[in-house]
Amino acid sequence: MSARPSGLALLVALLGAAAASAGFTLRSEVDTRRLGVQDVVELTITVEGSGAPDEVPLPALTNLEVVGGPAQATQVSIANGRMSQSRTLTYTLRPRTPGRAEIGAVSVGGQTAPAIALEVVAGSIRPAERRRADPFRDPFGGDPFGDPFQEMTGRSRPGAEPKLFMEAVPSRTRLHVGEPLVLTYYLYTQTSVTDLQMKDAPQYGGFWAEDLERPQAAPQGEPASAGGESYQRFPLIRKLLFPTRAGLLTLPAASFRISLVRQSLFDVGGVVERSTRPVSITVDAVPEARGFSGAVGRFSVSAALDHASVPVGEAATLRFRVDGTGNLKWIDQGPEVKAASAKVYPPQARSELRTTAEGITGSRTWEYVVVPQTAGTVEIPPLPFSYFDPARGRIVTVETAPLSLRAEGGTAAVGLPAAAGRAGVGEPLPLRTELDRPGRSLALSGPALSALLVLALLLHAGLLAAARAPAAAGRPERGGGHARGARTALRDLERAGAGGLSKEQAAALVEKALHEAFGALDERDDSERARAVRVLLDDVQFVRYAPQLGDYSDAIRDLAARGAATVRRWA
Amino acid sequence: MSGLLLALTLLSAVPGTAGSGGSLDDRFRAANELARAGDYPGAVAAYAEVAAAGGGSASLYWNWAQAAAARGASGEALWALLRAREVEPGDRAVRREIERLREALNLDPAEIAPEPLAAVARVVRRFHLDLLAAVLLAASVLLHGLARLDPGVRGGRAAALTLLALGLLAATAPLAARLARPTASVVRRGAPLFDAASPTAEPRGALREGEVVPVLEASGGWLRVEDNAGARGWARSADVRRLDRAAGE
Repeated sequence: MSARPSGLALLVALLGAAAASAGFTLRSEVDTRRLGVQDVVELTITVEGSGAPDEVPLPALTNLEVVGGPAQATQVSIANGRMSQSRTLTYTLRPRTPGRAEIGAVSVGGQTAPAIALEVVAGSIRPAERRRADPFRDPFGGDPFGDPFQEMTGRSRPGAEPKLFMEAVPSRTRLHVGEPLVLTYYLYTQTSVTDLQMKDAPQYGGFWAEDLERPQAAPQGEPASAGGESYQRFPLIRKLLFPTRAGLLTLPAASFRISLVRQSLFDVGGVVERSTRPVSITVDAVPEARGFSGAVGRFSVSAALDHASVPVGEAATLRFRVDGTGNLKWIDQGPEVKAASAKVYPPQARSELRTTAEGITGSRTWEYVVVPQTAGTVEIPPLPFSYFDPARGRIVTVETAPLSLRAEGGTAAVGLPAAAGRAGVGEPLPLRTELDRPGRSLALSGPALSALLVLALLLHAGLLAAARAPAAAGRPERGGGHARGARTALRDLERAGAGGLSKEQAAALVEKALHEAFGALDERDDSERARAVRVLLDDVQFVRYAPQLGDYSDAIRDLAARGAATVRRWA
Repeated sequence: MSGLLLALTLLSAVPGTAGSGGSLDDRFRAANELARAGDYPGAVAAYAEVAAAGGGSASLYWNWAQAAAARGASGEALWALLRAREVEPGDRAVRREIERLREALNLDPAEIAPEPLAAVARVVRRFHLDLLAAVLLAASVLLHGLARLDPGVRGGRAAALTLLALGLLAATAPLAARLARPTASVVRRGAPLFDAASPTAEPRGALREGEVVPVLEASGGWLRVEDNAGARGWARSADVRRLDRAAGE
């Protein structure tokens, strides 16, 4: 069973909707009510008419999941001098398991579209290359009003270009920074259109853009003349623009895609593109003035306290409110509130704003928390607010009436931190008298310090490696792992020469030290160094194995001293 | 001898700004006179000119803070004091006044110190840890070389390695400080935070006056910042002034 919407019926519905001057209708449709678990179903939610909310929620889904969308399309139909709008949201849904599935009811703005039950079977029962649902396509597969030439060749026949164009009209071409202007996009047409979409949203450089609220009633066409021909003119899109800088600014061209209704059996119909012309706007600067808030328009201010009296240390709320019409969104800073003997916290801002063709209307309120620090009366001085009034062409300053807050209770002052460095009333500022410009300080940049660090590490590593490397030129290689550092040998020789050891122990220690310092000597080595070490070793061994016939202390000291000298010289 | 004279001449020419330095001093004193006369906006403008001309000393930013505070611009005063601390990290009076102003603005200590590495950078500048590290590293290499040349030098190598370790330790802070993100201070009450760097952007929140925020990106007259609540957005550079650069840069 197919529930594919009929294009003809929809077109009729669209045209019929134009008759309804207000209200909207809501439909929820699927392109099939029976599908396989491997198939997808398209859910189309259509809102027709004016006054429909912008948000259309996705209904509750049972045994279904969203795999695509929502694809949104806005259509404008103009027929018989009236215009209707419709918005379509299309979701692609996939069932989870065979059985039953359901798309819940859709409720928008008091209207409800009923729930839709689906039957899900195993496998796939829909063609793989299923054509996507087209709300304007005939449900029986062919368009009885289609152009047979196009259906045969796939190309449209050349025909007369339809007479229609778009025009962007600003409400004024000269204004001040911050003043609003309304930019209206008009469609001039001599034919009926079914759809109109902005191709690329233009960037309004130098302007702050706001969308104007949509009118409740469908816009009515009006007769208009252009180039000596009669058209129906429809205001389609309206933007509220605030220039943010002075000078000659340009509103860029905007392009639209317009779908046309076929007027006859062989009419071209189809889609055409139209662009507006750029519009130049002259923007005058707002005069500079101290305390100017940046607001442009007409405003009034008021202030109020939520309590007439509070205990010391308790909070009262001071509300400063700006009402009026202009660029209220630009005003982000409330006045500074100073109150002696009270602590005033930075304010929170609230807005109740509405965008109208005259500007942004409503109010902004800044709420200050005021905490009295001592008993007595806290005086809130008049709070000023400066804005530029375009009608008067000057900056106007208005202010609120002064307010009083009675603080009751304890008399002890709650520590109120003094403002930094601020002198008391009547006292001079604690200014420094000399500029004391900092001298040129030598500082290393990060890369320089990093380079120095790496260089130092490399040099240390090189020195450590050199200490373990083979002896420099002219020295024979030491005996592998037996060679020890010269410093250790010198320590041993010092111990041997210090006394306290037997001659055998002392001589053995000297011999060991020499071996540690020079390693195993190559017998073929006939260098001066090798000869010196061999002589010393012979003397050491003589003392070591000589019979104990006397005191060898001097001989041991002599051997240790000679050994140390040899090590220092040759090791 | 002539080389020494030439070097001394060149060194004396380094403050070669002596000619212009005098005028900066005069302009600084003139700004002070404006502040004493109660023309705080004029004084602030004059201090800004001196800072832009290269006279951004701790004294200048101190006086700037006094004038700003006197006209009620507490956020600007705190920014000026923070700049003074950047220029002269060891100035105790500046540190004391920053604390007082922070309390007056009802800010938490963390709200004016979102970047711990920025504090490390100030310590490095105050104690010249980069130069100390360089000296220690050079001394360690020199001592190691001497110990290598004369093995009889007692403890030479150990001392060299100790100096190396100290040099590495001292170099860690300057290198870590380079990772600190630049920061800026909010000088305007309720400064808006926008979703884009454009005058037509929508405000998505407001920054607290005096709050110090890390600067994530800069584009023209806009800074992309992150407030202490973690919200990121663009703020006008007139509302949020950088702490890592002199005023006017």
